[in-house]
Amino acid sequence: MSSIAIAVVVLTLLALIFGLILGYASIKFKVEGNPIIDQVEALLPQTQCGQCGYPGCRPYAEAIANGDNINKCPPGGTATMEKLAGLMGVDPEPLNEVAQENVKKVAYIREDECIGCTKCIQACPVDAILGAGKLMHTVITKDCTGCDLCVEPCPVDCIDMIPVEQNLKNWDWKLASIPVTLIEPVPEKSTVTISVKQIDIAVKEDSQC
Amino acid sequence: MLTLLEQIDKGTLWHSPGGVHPPQLKSLSNQTASARIAPAKQYRIPLPQVGDCARLSVNVGDKVAQGQQLTEGEGFMYLPVHSPISGIVSNISLQHSNHASGLPVLTCIIESDGLNSQVDYQVSTLGELTNQQILDKTKQAGIAGLGGATFPSHIKLNPASEIDLVIINGVECEPYITSDDVLMRENAFEIFKGIQVINQLLSPQRIVVAIEDNKPEASSAMQQCLTQFDDLQSTVKITVIPTKYPSGGEKQLIQIITGREVPTGSIPAQQGIVVHNVGTAYAIQDAVLHGKPLIERLVTLTGEQVKQPGNYWLPIGTSVEHALEQVGFTAMDNQKVIIGGPMMGYALPEYNVPVLKGTNCILAPSANEIAPDVDEKACIRCGECAVACPALLLPQQLFWHAKAEEYDKAASFNLKDCIECGCCSFVCPSDIPLVEYYRIAKSALKNEAEEKQQAEQAKIRFEARLKRLEDEKLAREEKSRLAAEKRKASANSASNKSTVAEAMARVAAKKKAAEQEGHSKTAEAPSETGASNGKSAAVKAAIERAKAKKLANKSSETSDSTAAEENPQPVNDKKAQIAAAVARAKAKKLAANQSTDNSASVEENTAPVDDKKAQIAAAVARAKAKKLAKQNADAGIYSTTDSETVDSSTTEAAAEVSSNAEPVDDKKAKIAVAVARAKAKKLAKQNADDGIDSTTYTETVNSESVDSSTTDTAAIVSSTLEPVDDKKAKIAAAVARAKAKKLAKQNADADIDSTTDSETVDSESVDSSTTDTAALVSNTAEPVDDKKARIAAAVAKAKAKKLANQQKLSEKE
Repeated sequence: MSSIAIAVVVLTLLALIFGLILGYASIKFKVEGNPIIDQVEALLPQTQCGQCGYPGCRPYAEAIANGDNINKCPPGGTATMEKLAGLMGVDPEPLNEVAQENVKKVAYIREDECIGCTKCIQACPVDAILGAGKLMHTVITKDCTGCDLCVEPCPVDCIDMIPVEQNLKNWDWKLASIPVTLIEPVPEKSTVTISVKQIDIAVKEDSQC
Repeated sequence: MLTLLEQIDKGTLWHSPGGVHPPQLKSLSNQTASARIAPAKQYRIPLPQVGDCARLSVNVGDKVAQGQQLTEGEGFMYLPVHSPISGIVSNISLQHSNHASGLPVLTCIIESDGLNSQVDYQVSTLGELTNQQILDKTKQAGIAGLGGATFPSHIKLNPASEIDLVIINGVECEPYITSDDVLMRENAFEIFKGIQVINQLLSPQRIVVAIEDNKPEASSAMQQCLTQFDDLQSTVKITVIPTKYPSGGEKQLIQIITGREVPTGSIPAQQGIVVHNVGTAYAIQDAVLHGKPLIERLVTLTGEQVKQPGNYWLPIGTSVEHALEQVGFTAMDNQKVIIGGPMMGYALPEYNVPVLKGTNCILAPSANEIAPDVDEKACIRCGECAVACPALLLPQQLFWHAKAEEYDKAASFNLKDCIECGCCSFVCPSDIPLVEYYRIAKSALKNEAEEKQQAEQAKIRFEARLKRLEDEKLAREEKSRLAAEKRKASANSASNKSTVAEAMARVAAKKKAAEQEGHSKTAEAPSETGASNGKSAAVKAAIERAKAKKLANKSSETSDSTAAEENPQPVNDKKAQIAAAVARAKAKKLAANQSTDNSASVEENTAPVDDKKAQIAAAVARAKAKKLAKQNADAGIYSTTDSETVDSSTTEAAAEVSSNAEPVDDKKAKIAVAVARAKAKKLAKQNADDGIDSTTYTETVNSESVDSSTTDTAAIVSSTLEPVDDKKAKIAAAVARAKAKKLAKQNADADIDSTTDSETVDSESVDSSTTDTAALVSNTAEPVDDKKARIAAAVAKAKAKKLANQQKLSEKE
């Protein structure tokens, strides 16, 4: 009989001790906010374009953390979607929008056509447009995320989205295969190799099927 | 155990991993002494040659002397660019760059004038200069590492940490290139002078001049020359190292000389070691002792397609095309011109590009010198590349991931430590251009990192913007709260203010009266005043329309409270004036619109009083009327009776409206009539539409009450304005009438299935009330000016007549 009593007492004490430890830990190591939101946000491209239907990247990150689809970010493209799938442990799904051609663009204001209405300034999510009422506006190219949001409100349609120019800094060596100026006319040999490669690819695809 | 310095003194060399032994082919160009080629007519200086933040300090057409600085700038990496020749800046534009891409960069083109005028080079001796002065001179001379990397030398000469060992790199391991070899043979003395400068700045414990054993002439020349420098005897040691590619790489050379490996991600200076090229040492002494900026360098022009291969002193900015022409270059089919050596160099897509500070060799190989481009075959995982890699990387794995575009995985295999020496491609039995893959992967990773940074920046800016908007909102709320408090506080003292305002108004009224007296004397005949008021009549018509629109909007939405809110407005004279101005602007716009309606009117449209315009307007109105009639017919039999009744009532109102304008301007009146008619038709149509809708009677009552109250307000407005200004009074009267008309329209709109008698009565009563108002208006105007009153009476009479006419007309129609 006494042994049962001892067991009950001991177990009760143990339960109390562990309860205290757990209670202390929950206060001491309390996590502020949902850490997954920050991780998701770090993956998003931060264009703040709103194409996902949320007003900015953080709200979309919150929505993803709460179980929204991961395929709503066209600027991030498939790469971002796959990373999100990996992070959230869900299956990758195709982007819901028509996948954008992955060329980074920036807004450009045709300055002599600008009437200075400030509408684009209000639309810009990153304050990358400079100007004042009835004065010409211009885009701070370095800070432009290419989100497209300024194009719509312009009453005179003077904003273009132009692809970022290649320069020596951001040049991709892939272009080496497409020389800017040909020294000599394209020799026949290379065309032959291209066709061979194409055949190769075709054969590979066939074999996959 | 010997210390490192003792081992260096002893001549111990360590083994560096990997490496290959490609055919040297140096004898092609090192058999002849260095020479100069005929000067070119034109030199191209790319502006961001080294570093950034450069600002151009010359303009097109400026005369520049040899050695004149072309750019200004600040920043850690900035290096000035100098004119290599005396001449005139003929153009500053985007030109092909000396880069594998050939992408255009901003280039300053200088036409030589053949005068060879120079800026004054300041000659000085080493003893009289402080270290800071030496560094400044080096920077101002634009000295960059001439081995090929073109890193600004003054940064390497002023490291943050203590330097124990300086290595002077005379290895030159790439095949074909002999510029350092020839420089050491011919200019050993100057190189040692440069070493003296470096010695003074860094004061290392040892200076090692490393020369490969395939350059015995150079090493013996250097050895001989060293005997002339007593102060350098104890510190400088000339070390001959075995020939192997790529021993000349900075990290590889350090490993050979000291046995230490420079850890990934760190620079040699953190190990207390600095490496300078022999060419850089030469340029440093030129800059510090002779004050000469870096405007020319020794370049190897070689390859079997060149008739006179050798080393030539080329001014920076010389066109590669020109240099090759001068040494008898003949292009073969599919000719490649390579900048740098065959292992690390790149083929130029365009010949007409300038020689840069880092251009040590221009190679024009023949077909039997360079392997033709062959197709890449599958990797057989032989492992040759891993053996050859001097950086101890795993080229297969890197290739695997780079090809699959899994760049982050490639990065995890330390892709960034690849020195792109080309050993792996050289040994690959499958002819895979491995280095190409790594370059693609590297540039992709670099761009990715940049995008990441940009995204971070965008996030910060976005958050800052949200905060700003929030702050602005709070500030606005605070401001409106304060304003409300202030209003409350000032409500008590309002009575004082109102008396002051009254006094002001009286003074203004007197002034106006005096003015008008003078005015009416000069233009006594009513016809004349009519002519002078021609414009204002047009304005009035427009105002009528504008206000009517506004009222229509308001009355459909506003309740009694908004009507009450309008009351304080008439007290404010300025506001009324502003409103009038706005109305005038609108009138102008309207006039413009009307003119665009008809293209013919554009030619002959001279004044709003124009006769033709009136006709056009009439035509337009008629067209509209026709259209409406058609629509009306479509609307169905159901509501035709209603529309007729409304028609008559609205036409009455319209007639009244137009009657105002008529005495002033007959033609305008016609336009107004036409417009009114059109509107009436429109109304009829709306009425028909409304007829289908079932609007409740209560709503009608509401809108009517609101309308009447607003009309009252309008009356008050006009009455308060009149004593101040006669013209205004007219406008106000017009406004009142327009409102009345609107009321009629409202009534019609609000109509339920059948227009009740009571409603028509209502509208009539409203009409009468507005006429009363108008009468009131004229009444208030009378005491101010007797003559004016007479004119007004005449006008009123004319109006009455016109009204009669109009009614007849409308009846006819």
